[in-house]
Amino acid sequence: MPVPRIIVSGLGFITSIGNDRTAVTDSLRHLRSGIERHDFFPGHDLPVKVLGTLKGFDTAALQWAGWKWPAGYRFQPEALRGMAPHGLYALCAVEQAVADARLQPADLTSSETGLFCASAGSPRLTRHYLNQIHDSNGERIPPMGVVSTIAGTLNFNLAAHLGVRGAVAGFVSACASSTLALGYAHDEIRLGRLSRVLVVGGEDLNADAIYPFQGMRALSRNPDPAKASRPFDRQRDGFVGTGGAVALVLEEAGSALARGAPVYAEMLGWGQSADGQSISGSDPTGRGLALAMQRAMQAGGVGPADIDYVNAHATSTPAGDASEAHALRAVFSDAGAQPCISSTKALTGHGLSLSGVMETGFCALSLAEGLIPGAANLENPDPACAGLNLPRTTLAASPRTILKNSSGFGGSNVCVVLRRWNN
Amino acid sequence: MINSVEAQKCIRETLVGFPPRVISAYHTFVEGGDASNLDIAVLGVLHFYLAKKPAEPLDALPGTTRLVEDLGCDSLTMMDTIFMVETLFKVRIDDAELIQLTTLDELRLHLRRLVKESGPAAA
Repeated sequence: MPVPRIIVSGLGFITSIGNDRTAVTDSLRHLRSGIERHDFFPGHDLPVKVLGTLKGFDTAALQWAGWKWPAGYRFQPEALRGMAPHGLYALCAVEQAVADARLQPADLTSSETGLFCASAGSPRLTRHYLNQIHDSNGERIPPMGVVSTIAGTLNFNLAAHLGVRGAVAGFVSACASSTLALGYAHDEIRLGRLSRVLVVGGEDLNADAIYPFQGMRALSRNPDPAKASRPFDRQRDGFVGTGGAVALVLEEAGSALARGAPVYAEMLGWGQSADGQSISGSDPTGRGLALAMQRAMQAGGVGPADIDYVNAHATSTPAGDASEAHALRAVFSDAGAQPCISSTKALTGHGLSLSGVMETGFCALSLAEGLIPGAANLENPDPACAGLNLPRTTLAASPRTILKNSSGFGGSNVCVVLRRWNN
Repeated sequence: MINSVEAQKCIRETLVGFPPRVISAYHTFVEGGDASNLDIAVLGVLHFYLAKKPAEPLDALPGTTRLVEDLGCDSLTMMDTIFMVETLFKVRIDDAELIQLTTLDELRLHLRRLVKESGPAAA
């Protein structure tokens, strides 16, 4: 039995740099940032002043019935009743991806279709519901308090909403979660268990979701939206938070082509590793991430010289970016390869568990549209980046093969290899 | 209690997104105690949470309409409705009572009784 070729056949974006494929492509092409000034606790002068904001959404209300979203989406508002704000973002992204892939309702409810999701849950709604329970001494327990808040809320809700029957699962490896979801989706299709998997990442965007990272001094204190997120730069001082949702249809090529779906990229393979060191920090040597990159390339049947572009995980933290730079040098420079490297988090901010599928979506657009996103906001590269090829502007190039890196708390490293579709 | 400024603010926030007819019936009931407005508010809350909504308001349907079989009311819909009704009218519906409520009339009449028993705090 031939090994199936696996492609990206649908994309949906609700991100700080655009709420659809066209807007996101335009932002990548022109390095347009989605980061703005933001008061996490209005009236208080806190050190963190920027956020990768979403445009066209208002999810400030604690009740889903009070939320607002851009016109044109067809879901019934009642679909939101068990959801956190990132569930709303995900519904919108999924609707885009499903339409883009030309999937019909019967395709979604087929036993051939799975749903893999990643989110950190909803700290804000958790706080709200737990306060209700404590304030009433346990007498008042909101019925949706569990399913709308815990990690897994995306898969619970979307599986029910879409009628998914093939498989449904959630992935919890912090900032590597949705990349891990892509990897296991790839395996399920390659093993012939499923024809397609809808991979969705989402995160709330509010003080409860983002500001706790200030406790470990991981957030940028730079108040300038144009410079706060600057991966690999000497002056970087932390990441800028963002949220939203991205949906990606990963599919066996034959079924997608038969349906007339677009092909954005082929996913050749993936790899993972673990640092085995720290709860939150990366291995300073980058050894773990280097191993994940090598495994991904080996699984995809490519080598360092084949990679034209690396979409780095780099979040703009001093330690994390240096670790990744060491890993990149070990894998590429030592092999005499010089792929272009950038982190699109300079534009979007860091989407936490959403980031992997979001940036894989960007890579798919890069392959389909013929562009390599530049390293925005990079002025003085960290000495750890010596020898790495970090283009400052977006290149009108046609990358053939792209490596996407992700790392998460607990030393989780996950990488995927994408290739321009060639039938 | 329900008329305090804080409580009214809480109720306003709770009712965000509900149809104006339901909100109006709720306030009219609180001010005047008219049972028909209580019915509209209670059934309006249930209608709001139903995944598949009938074309007509629930108070226009026969009282014998069954919650599960006819309206497709699942357990989460029922619990959402009960939680909201308890919040709005300061009543408590215990689990044993809840499983006895199978039709619109049973729900409506049970709420009328509970609200009446709970006295002026609810109305």
